[in-house]
Amino acid sequence: MNSEYMLLFRGTGWDKNLSPEEMQSHASKFMAWFERLKLEGKCKGGQPLQREGKVVSGKGGRNVVDGPFAESKEAIGGYFSLTVADMDEAVAIAKGCPGLDYGLQVEVRPVADGCPTLKLAEERLAEHAMA
Amino acid sequence: MSDLAASSANPPPAGEVSRLAEHLFRHEAGKLVSILTGIFGTDRLQLAEDVVQESLARALQTWPFYGVPKNPAAWLMQTARNLAIDVIRREKSFHEKEPEIITTIEQWSTDTDAGSQPLFDSEIKDGRLRLMFACCHPQLPHEAQTALALKTLCGFSPAEIAKAFLTSEAAIAKRLVRARQRIQELKIPFEIPAGENLEERLEVVLHTLYLLFNEGYKASAGENLLREDLCFEAIRLATLLVEHPAGNQPRTHALLALMMLNGARFGARQDSAGNLLRLKDQDRAHWNREMIARGLFHLDQAAVGDEATKFHLEAGISACHCAAENYEATDWRQILALYDALIAVDNTPVVALNRAVAVAKVRGPAAGLKAVDAIANADMLDSYYLLYAIRAEFEMELGRFSAAANNLRRAMQLTPIKSEVTLLAAKLHECESAEGQIDRGHSQ
Repeated sequence: MNSEYMLLFRGTGWDKNLSPEEMQSHASKFMAWFERLKLEGKCKGGQPLQREGKVVSGKGGRNVVDGPFAESKEAIGGYFSLTVADMDEAVAIAKGCPGLDYGLQVEVRPVADGCPTLKLAEERLAEHAMA
Repeated sequence: MSDLAASSANPPPAGEVSRLAEHLFRHEAGKLVSILTGIFGTDRLQLAEDVVQESLARALQTWPFYGVPKNPAAWLMQTARNLAIDVIRREKSFHEKEPEIITTIEQWSTDTDAGSQPLFDSEIKDGRLRLMFACCHPQLPHEAQTALALKTLCGFSPAEIAKAFLTSEAAIAKRLVRARQRIQELKIPFEIPAGENLEERLEVVLHTLYLLFNEGYKASAGENLLREDLCFEAIRLATLLVEHPAGNQPRTHALLALMMLNGARFGARQDSAGNLLRLKDQDRAHWNREMIARGLFHLDQAAVGDEATKFHLEAGISACHCAAENYEATDWRQILALYDALIAVDNTPVVALNRAVAVAKVRGPAAGLKAVDAIANADMLDSYYLLYAIRAEFEMELGRFSAAANNLRRAMQLTPIKSEVTLLAAKLHECESAEGQIDRGHSQ
């Protein structure tokens, strides 16, 4: 049975010191990678995120600030949505990301079905019922 | 930016990865920097470079997801335009001129999808020539001129320039910073010079392009393709120059002829293992005939008027090599005559060394050695491996293998190029076994 995973591309500004030639080569590789995954039916889609937006926090959202900062190792620059057999396959795909060589990080996260807390509670209830 | 993202939001059909033209980013970067410098002024060269870098970064962020836009060059231009407008609104230094500048930029067509040219080709070319004249200003040091031209006009990164020049990235970065400062201090204008001024300024531009080409040509080996790229960039820039009335002069054609006739023989300069091949060992079928034809065309165009610059003479020498069916058919007499004329206008040790080879071909190896010994300022060649490699060649022909071997060992110590060491080592082996045979002959 297939499950859904998200690949989150973390790190912005890693491309800052690339030469035009390197940027072009990287863009081509990334495009080929994405196209292949879509063709194989393993990737449903993906989108880039603009580098800056707003961060809302505090009670009632009283803090609204610009962010994340332009260059950050943590900031998410884009995502892929995968449908694959298991975590191993998702990780194997992440390992093929052409940006890794330049310091980009790929976070692999299973998409939870339903609310995990509720699911756990239901499982516990089921266990009790069995006992 | 969102309008752009939307305009290219249709991904290419699955399985069909859009391909980008070779060096597209690099070449567009060169174009865009010159257009933006025209808007910001030469004193804000760095700003123009930064805006272009950011435009390419935006492409890198979005194209992989949405595919290559129908007209990638127009997309980049449009992005650069929007970023430039942002910069102008934000920066106080532009305030006075802001409305005027923004009007100029907004005149660029915004229609990125129709495949229309946002600016006239001639305007883009003019911009590039203006920047070329600014980079090659006589008051900038030569090494700064070539580095700056490569960075701004050709879209090379400091790291790539450093690699091509066999120096450190920090050294190149320093050169670039100083060059930009100097342009600011001197208030070097963004213009194509005219009148008497043009003669002198064109001379400097041609010399810079010549250096650029030679830098890529002289040593070059398969280990570093970038060096070949330098040559092709020099050819591109010289081509721009001859297409413009300001640059369309016999000596520009001569320079272009020289670069094309030499560049045409690139493909044959190394074997499949990446080893450098001597002229006599090259497979002439691998010479680029079309480029030779173009080179000869420009040599023809160069033959107008009465000036014979060093470019004319060097192109003539190269043409002699290109015209020979095989090495044996080379017209060495003609080549020697051209070297004699060349030395009259450019008596540098390297030219004199090359002339010595021609002397040896026409008058024998002993005469060749004599010509080497007669080189003026020969101490400049002390650490030039070819001096010893050439001497060794002559000594071998004279049957003096031990002298040849000594020269070969010296040459091997001096060349940084691996394939040259291999070539020299093979010769040394030849000498040593020949020496051995002679020794055995004596002892018998």
